[in-house]
Amino acid sequence: MTLETKRIIIGCLGGLFLVSLVFVQRLETVRRAEEAGLRPAHVVAPASSVDCVECHQETNPGIIDHWRGSTHAEKGVGCVECHQAVAEDADSHGHYGFVIATVVTPRDCAACHPAEAEEFARSHHAAGGNILASLDNFLAETVEGATQPFDPHSPTPGRPMEPVNGFASAFLGCQQCHGSKVALRATDGGTVTVDDLQPDEDGMPTNADALGRILHNDDGRPLFDPGTWPNTGIGRLNLDGSRGSCSACHSRHDFSPRRARQPENCGKCHLGPDHPQKEIYEESKHGVAYRDLTDSMNLDAEDWVLGEDYSAAPTCATCHMSGHTRNDGRITHDPGERISWTNRPPVSLPMDTDAEHRIVTTADPSERREQIADTAEAKRTRMKEVCSHCHTPDYVNAFYRQYDDFVTLYNEKFAKPGREIMVSLLEHGLRTPTQFDEEIEWTWFYLWHHEGRRARHGASMMAPDYAHWHGMFEVAERFYMEFIPQAREIAHHAETNGQRPQARAVQGLIDLILARPEHAWFEGDSQ
Amino acid sequence: MTALSRWIDGRIPIEPGALRELTNEPVPYHLKRWWFALGGTPAYLFVVQVVTGVLLAFYYQPHPSTAYESVRYITEDATFGWYLRSVHKWAATLMIAAVVLHQLRVYFTGAYRKPRELNWMVGMLLLICTLMLGFTGYSLVFEQLSYWGATVSANIADTIPVVGGFLKRMLLAGEAYNERTLARFFVLHAAVLPGFLVALVAVHIALVRIQGVTELRFRDEPPQEEGKFPFIPDHIYTELIIGLVLMVLLSALATLAPATMGPLADPMTTPEEIKPEWFFYVTFRWLKLMGGTAAVLSMGLIVFVMFAWPFIDAWFRRRTPFREASVWIGVAATLLIIGMTVWEALVPH
Amino acid sequence: MNRRSQDAPADTRRRRFIVAVSRATMAAGLLGGYGVFGSVLGRFLYPAGDSGTVWQFVTPTDRLAVGDSLIYTTPAGAEVHVTRRDDTGATGDFTALSNVCPHLGCQVHWQPQHNRYFCPCHNGVFDREGRGVSGPPEGMVLSGYPIEVRGGMVFIKVEATPLVVPERRS
Repeated sequence: MTLETKRIIIGCLGGLFLVSLVFVQRLETVRRAEEAGLRPAHVVAPASSVDCVECHQETNPGIIDHWRGSTHAEKGVGCVECHQAVAEDADSHGHYGFVIATVVTPRDCAACHPAEAEEFARSHHAAGGNILASLDNFLAETVEGATQPFDPHSPTPGRPMEPVNGFASAFLGCQQCHGSKVALRATDGGTVTVDDLQPDEDGMPTNADALGRILHNDDGRPLFDPGTWPNTGIGRLNLDGSRGSCSACHSRHDFSPRRARQPENCGKCHLGPDHPQKEIYEESKHGVAYRDLTDSMNLDAEDWVLGEDYSAAPTCATCHMSGHTRNDGRITHDPGERISWTNRPPVSLPMDTDAEHRIVTTADPSERREQIADTAEAKRTRMKEVCSHCHTPDYVNAFYRQYDDFVTLYNEKFAKPGREIMVSLLEHGLRTPTQFDEEIEWTWFYLWHHEGRRARHGASMMAPDYAHWHGMFEVAERFYMEFIPQAREIAHHAETNGQRPQARAVQGLIDLILARPEHAWFEGDSQ
Repeated sequence: MTALSRWIDGRIPIEPGALRELTNEPVPYHLKRWWFALGGTPAYLFVVQVVTGVLLAFYYQPHPSTAYESVRYITEDATFGWYLRSVHKWAATLMIAAVVLHQLRVYFTGAYRKPRELNWMVGMLLLICTLMLGFTGYSLVFEQLSYWGATVSANIADTIPVVGGFLKRMLLAGEAYNERTLARFFVLHAAVLPGFLVALVAVHIALVRIQGVTELRFRDEPPQEEGKFPFIPDHIYTELIIGLVLMVLLSALATLAPATMGPLADPMTTPEEIKPEWFFYVTFRWLKLMGGTAAVLSMGLIVFVMFAWPFIDAWFRRRTPFREASVWIGVAATLLIIGMTVWEALVPH
Repeated sequence: MNRRSQDAPADTRRRRFIVAVSRATMAAGLLGGYGVFGSVLGRFLYPAGDSGTVWQFVTPTDRLAVGDSLIYTTPAGAEVHVTRRDDTGATGDFTALSNVCPHLGCQVHWQPQHNRYFCPCHNGVFDREGRGVSGPPEGMVLSGYPIEVRGGMVFIKVEATPLVVPERRS
């Protein structure tokens, strides 16, 4: 090999080396670009919370580790930013040089997230605490439990003979979803709640007497009534007058948007015999696609805009809350904004709402026009904007036609007649005003609250088995085989007990209903 | 130009002709064959190791609390860190391979025989030095392999009679792996062993220069050609070509199989499957076969035999009829080493 | 390689050309390859990215009235005076000034009664914009931090990692 050849080979190899380095450079660039989004952000404890982090890392490492993974940590929002309080707050206390409160309320979150807090505040979610005065709560507090503590009637070996807390079922059942009325223990043995504190617009208590009654421990920390805290129910009634709990969906302490986007998050409460939305979703094509395509859901995306960041499948959040390309990616924290029927009451109602976001129930057309601030149709249009990312208008409109027909069928054939009979029985004194003390009240409750809702929810979210077998089939069976016979039995019993006119009125109503063409097939009753 | 050369000449009075004379050794013709350039290859790779190693040392922190994180920083955060670390790792692999191949070449061409016995022994020291560099190198990452490799090695040293305990304590800076251990490995890896290596290479090359390269003639060489050719520039070009091929190869290996990071060292959990780097597979398998002091002593004996081989071989050739025994012994030993390495590579335990 | 002395004179020019070209190719190859490699080495040593700094939350904008300032402590421990000067809702409403004196590195502090930053080491005085108005740092400015207003919140870009000096074991 001549020297010239060698030199040229060296030159070429040098060039090849250069090319290989250019390739290395390209890899480096690609790597940087890829890692820019994926790399865990550099998390430091903000100076305000360094001491908290250091100490709680030892005492409750889970809290700190969760927080470290949060966007809050990434952006320098530490412990103090959310937990700080002023001495005037009912539940504030000194804690190693800081004045803090244990319970972080939507009012605290609103300091930085005012729009979200406002949307949430007007949502039905925030009103979840209203259940505390409702029929369901009567079930838990009275039927399942007892409104007064009572003593055990026989000893349990290994347990002290302590009074039984009759609210236990309400505390752990209803209120963990619906929210508790947060209560502090009082020096007189009672409790101090938002009702006693009467907070002003800024959440500051105005009732000095109530403040004075709060029981503190030796460290000066106010003591919570253990029935009402811990609680992350979505309609929690907080001491500062705010309603709700953001951590119901944005679990502390990582407040992960990723988790809030997944159906499991909603499934903490939206499941079970009375409103199995989670199971319905799982049965639907939507849920099936989600389970299969979870990896394509881009759940870590910063904005998570449907049609932009993902389009693999919808989750609960996608349809009811999240932003999409047709609304400029605007998220709402009021899941009711896109819902056109409320299937919660015994008889479904269109979601025509007034300025206060309450459903307008009056039948008078002019009054309706006056009161309605946001129509059910407008809400449906908002939902259709979501649907249209994957479905054509004809498809979506035809679905809504199917859905409307289904709800109307349920309403007209079973719900309204059932309600009429129940009202008639009450009006004629053939059942007591007390709920759940008569068999027919349980039957009716099953019919609308469990089976009727399952049917309607199943129809609304495309789960045929819930619409039919877990739904309308059971509604029909309950209606024909239990509800009607029980109503007749009550009337028959009344007739033999000298309440003939009342019995006749009820019988007449039942006969009238069953004579309708949709019930004409039913002959078993006439014998 | 002349003013500058005069200025330099006035301060560094070296005759350019003499310098050329000194460096421009006539090279035997057989070095035109590429596989005779295996001695220069590890030397070139060593330069790569020094350059990349010095750079890596800018970020590396030899303490158990920070070592792994600093390697992670190099691999993931520093610009081109993954590339340089991968080049460093692959150059180490190639360097060990090149040293072994060079030794095989020297062995099978009988180039260790009189008067080059001493240089063979220097070469043996270079081999050991290179292997030690490899071992201390992967101990620095502070991944599981680093920690348990060091622990196991120290305990192997411990089984050597009389001096074992002393060696172990010297290696680990204590009875067991502690927070001062890594600093030891680091200084050995980045200063002491390279220093030794440089000194040994200097002796190695000086001896080659003094004794001249072994001259071999091959049948297919044109007899009319002169027996030697000038080192400069012809052989330099050869080395440049080898160097560039190596750089391209290293870049390719670094991008195709970049250096990764194993799990962080956990002194509480020995991994189910643990193996040293490939170049220790043969010793690792030997240890498993023999166990304990016997393995260590037999290993020492083998190393001693390798050291003394020029003299043992000479004795063979003088005193026995098996003049070419070295070839057969060499073939057998090579096959044994390859066999045990492959065996170790194939089985999990 | 072998210099053939018997080369015909006619070939000499062509040969010279080949030699020149081969030399140029070699030089270019070596320079290009090792030169770029050298630049890779250099870029490895240059501090990577700005991984040392992070955007940190300071306060909701409505918690800081115009004219007021607060002291934000960075994760690395430096104190920063964040001042609101306007209420247009834009980033320009806010300034963030270091409390490290540009003179010799002492800590300046805000004196609200004098409406100035004061450095006690050599009586350095800075106005509310951070400009040195008297004393040794006259004409110098307090170094600022990047500020951004996003979604009604003030964020500041600061050094994240303090140099940790372990305490001496007793």
